[in-house]
Amino acid sequence: MKRISTAVLATLSASALVLTACSTNETTTDATEDATQSAATPSADEPVTVQLLTHDSFALSEDVIADFEESSGIDIELVSGGDAGSMVAGAILAAGAPTADVMFGVDNTLVTRALDEGVFEPYTSPEADSLRPDLADQTFDGLVTPIDFGDVCINIDDTWFEAEGIAPPTTLDDLVDPTYSGLLVVQDPGTSSPGLAFLLSTVARYGDEWPTYWQELKDNDVAIAGSWSDAYYGDFTFGGGGDRPIVVSYATSPPAEIVYAEGEPPETVSTSSMDDGCYRQIEYAGILAGTDNVEAAQQVVDWLLSAPVQEDIPLNMFVFPARAGTPLPEVFTEFAGQVERAEQLPADYVAENVEGLLTEWGSVMGR
Amino acid sequence: MKESTGLRVVDLVIGYDSPLHEPFTFSVAPGDVLAVVGPSGCGKSTLLGTIAGLTPALGGSIEIGGRDITALPINERRVAMVFQEALLFPHLNVRDNVAYGPRRAGVSREEARAEADRLLTWVDLEGYGDRSIEQLSGGQAQRVSLARALAAKPDALCLDEPFSALDAPLRSRLAQDVLAIVARAGIPAIHVTHDPDEAAAMAHGNPGGSILSM
Amino acid sequence: MHAPTWLRWAWVVPAAFLLAFLAIPLASLGRQVISPGTVGYLFDPLPWRVAGLASGQAIVSTLLALAIGLPMANVLTRYRFWGRRWALALATVPFVLPTVVVALAFRALLGGSLGSGFALVVLAHAYLNLAVVVRIVGARWVTIDPRMELTARSLGAGPWTAFRTVTWPALRPAIASAAAIVFVFSFTSLGVVLLIGDSSTRTLESLVLRQTSILLDFQGAAVSAAIQALVVGSVLVWAARQRAAQRGGSARPMRLIRPRGRSSLAVGVVATAAAVIVLAPVLALVWASLRSSSGWTLAWWSGLFGPNTIDAGSTRIGSPLSAMARSLTFAIATGAVAAVVGGLAAVSVLTGRIGRAFAIATALPLGISAATLGLGTLLAYGRPPLDLRATGLLVPIAHALIAVPLVVAVATPTLRATDPRLVTVAANLGARPTRAWWTGYGPALRTVMVAAGGLACAVSLGEFGAASFLARADGPTVPLVIARLLGRPGEASFGVAAALAVVLVIMTTTLVAAVDRGGRRR
Repeated sequence: MKRISTAVLATLSASALVLTACSTNETTTDATEDATQSAATPSADEPVTVQLLTHDSFALSEDVIADFEESSGIDIELVSGGDAGSMVAGAILAAGAPTADVMFGVDNTLVTRALDEGVFEPYTSPEADSLRPDLADQTFDGLVTPIDFGDVCINIDDTWFEAEGIAPPTTLDDLVDPTYSGLLVVQDPGTSSPGLAFLLSTVARYGDEWPTYWQELKDNDVAIAGSWSDAYYGDFTFGGGGDRPIVVSYATSPPAEIVYAEGEPPETVSTSSMDDGCYRQIEYAGILAGTDNVEAAQQVVDWLLSAPVQEDIPLNMFVFPARAGTPLPEVFTEFAGQVERAEQLPADYVAENVEGLLTEWGSVMGR
Repeated sequence: MKESTGLRVVDLVIGYDSPLHEPFTFSVAPGDVLAVVGPSGCGKSTLLGTIAGLTPALGGSIEIGGRDITALPINERRVAMVFQEALLFPHLNVRDNVAYGPRRAGVSREEARAEADRLLTWVDLEGYGDRSIEQLSGGQAQRVSLARALAAKPDALCLDEPFSALDAPLRSRLAQDVLAIVARAGIPAIHVTHDPDEAAAMAHGNPGGSILSM
Repeated sequence: MHAPTWLRWAWVVPAAFLLAFLAIPLASLGRQVISPGTVGYLFDPLPWRVAGLASGQAIVSTLLALAIGLPMANVLTRYRFWGRRWALALATVPFVLPTVVVALAFRALLGGSLGSGFALVVLAHAYLNLAVVVRIVGARWVTIDPRMELTARSLGAGPWTAFRTVTWPALRPAIASAAAIVFVFSFTSLGVVLLIGDSSTRTLESLVLRQTSILLDFQGAAVSAAIQALVVGSVLVWAARQRAAQRGGSARPMRLIRPRGRSSLAVGVVATAAAVIVLAPVLALVWASLRSSSGWTLAWWSGLFGPNTIDAGSTRIGSPLSAMARSLTFAIATGAVAAVVGGLAAVSVLTGRIGRAFAIATALPLGISAATLGLGTLLAYGRPPLDLRATGLLVPIAHALIAVPLVVAVATPTLRATDPRLVTVAANLGARPTRAWWTGYGPALRTVMVAAGGLACAVSLGEFGAASFLARADGPTVPLVIARLLGRPGEASFGVAAALAVVLVIMTTTLVAAVDRGGRRR
């Protein structure tokens, strides 16, 4: 009777395999992937695949990737690590025996921990010479390479303020003014990345006095949303049906409003980004220690910092390129917040203090 | 005076949206059995359901013991139903199944159980009280079902093909038992069947018995 | 016991599946994280406090889901009325809506009056889990002969007493199963809590996420995850006890009841209320998918299917269309794997070969946080020597892991109700063991596997957490695309996300209705 049982099991597992096999077929017949495969096969004598670990906001134009694959003979396989934090967590847990060759998208609030855990293999890209001067020294002894940066800024619904006949706020200090009582929505820093960035910007600005500032925000009836989507599409007057015309978002949200508008891009946009009190997030790429593909991985890092990718970054990920002199699209020069001086905290300070900051924020805000 | 204590049906129209049959008028005296026979689908079960209150009457009246029950909800009619399947409550043992009706009438648990044991004796299942219903044969289950119906002290008993799931010898034995039990309980009973022989046996095994052919 | 010999070995399949895709990933993760010092973290009051908060929230969510779901289960599974099949399929919709979408829809519908916080979270949880109640309790309820309650009434029980003394005891094991699952889903909820919750609705799952991805405090996360698994395990043990207490009933679905008179009014009211409750957020989505700042528009829909679409062809991420195809294949694969693995697990539990501990083990994935499972799977199967990511198998496997407990919960009460005497009878009539066993259990198994398979498809279509770890970055599922779209500004982002969510609703309803229909044809 044992024979029957094994036969049955074999059939069952076989059918499961057949069914799941279909799904693989399905994915490979995607129109977007055909290009990749036809592009990669002819050029390379020995095709190499580089697994690029990214977070779930990563995007680049298909043709930029395809051009690189064709010229280098390297196939790029995009591997998702969840959100940025989860991706870094995964990389730390797998340190030394990585789940990919290159990681892109670790930011300055998390990078020190990854460095401490030996996640990265040192590499200084020849392209690093072309980094913006303010980012050139941000390579942490040649372990990571800055690829892009973005600013978390207060966004304002200008139409609303115009209609109400009130002057919009221009500084962090304005936000605690009773004029703007009940008008601001921020994100919970314990659950949202822009929320945390905004908290850090107040810490950078007010130092030890930051809890007082938040107490004043609370007295001024600040709303706290769980996530960026909830704040922007739920509470913000512009994004959705909300009733608060001031929101924590990005310096690049106004240009995104133009790019992702209905039909023809509008001439103007009714939101703007406040230039004071922005917090700068820098995204890095690095080679994961333990990879067998060091050489190809290095080429991928070079490529991420090369002009074609850097020019492609703004309209795909709505952040600013790290390479000096990269031409920005017009929507960026015209509508993005032009931040002269963004707030920043040293990465190791953030790594050491984030837990304490969150706890204290929670007790100040009664959450 | 026998008429007034029995079941009296006058110009009763049965059916769902339109009448299924011409109006019924009949009466069944206490202790008597009316056997209703006819092919399936002709409305026998609907007639029974209308009397028991499962289906509202489209017209006419139903009286038991001089009480008009035509518009009463099922649980106030005091008409007990026994179906083709025993439909015993699976989470109760045999005794508590039978004690179900008395419990609903507000009898204490001990008294209800004592009553149940008495009725189990009536249906020849003395000592079965503690069994789980999964341990009963089909015939035994149907007897428990009958005991359960009688324990509620109904004013009338409606039997919807109660033997059709059983085999022939068991069926005729049970038919005899039902006749005896109905006579002993002294209540009117209606017995629906598609089998003319069974109908005849039920009707003629009883002095006041009659057959209604549909 | 007349079970055929091969049945004794049925447990091997689910056991191997759990070992490979639950135990090994968790072990890989644990080996990396846990040290003797981890024990000290047990004395941190924070995770215990969060566990207390989350339990309270989950109990309220569960009671609310039962209060709405039980009348729906009754009407949708037992009564015959026009559109019943679609109504039943629609009832599955809340379950698959990505939490991002539900949270926003609830904000849009109720946010003004309730703000964010406890009430909104509890309502969203009840809504999301309606299908669990309707499916699990409904699968049992259809097998209860409606004449049972009528018999009770003819014995003098009022309508409520008849329900309480006859139907309720028969339903109780199924209700316990459903309640346990709703509790577990609400207790471990992440998306809803992050999106519309506040400090009163924190869960251990959200604590685990904060500890892993913001604080990088892996030992603290391990302790939080362990406490979560402990609570979930206890609830599942309780549910298994309740199920084991079940007796009798039929395994075959009864004929549908044709509602008449007062009952047709009641059926009408409940069915209408169900439709309104289920559809209100969906209609809000449809509305959002057709509106822009300048009025009505079809731009978001053409953005979904048109040639020059949002992201389509321009980035490596792929078009919404390819995500739909991918989600659908994943869903079908998940349904098949979960039905086979879960079906064999339910059968093994039934034959009593390996006992209750195994039944509980199959349910454990419910208590494992998506982040834990995702990270563990990556460590075990996402790097050399065994990198399965490129095969595309990991997502359906993870989804099947989540769906198997649901399959078992749907299947066990009904299978347990199957009369083993049928097998004996068939065997006495000369049928060979397998044949006799199939005669007894086949019909019930088929009905139940179809219901469960549909639920598993639905799980896969709506799942976000595990997929975000395991799907290829250039191969996202529909919920991942929706979350992506909702993560950036611009009315096109919101409009297309709403349109895509509507598509997800249509996909689910159609798939589940098709599975149900297939199950009824023999």
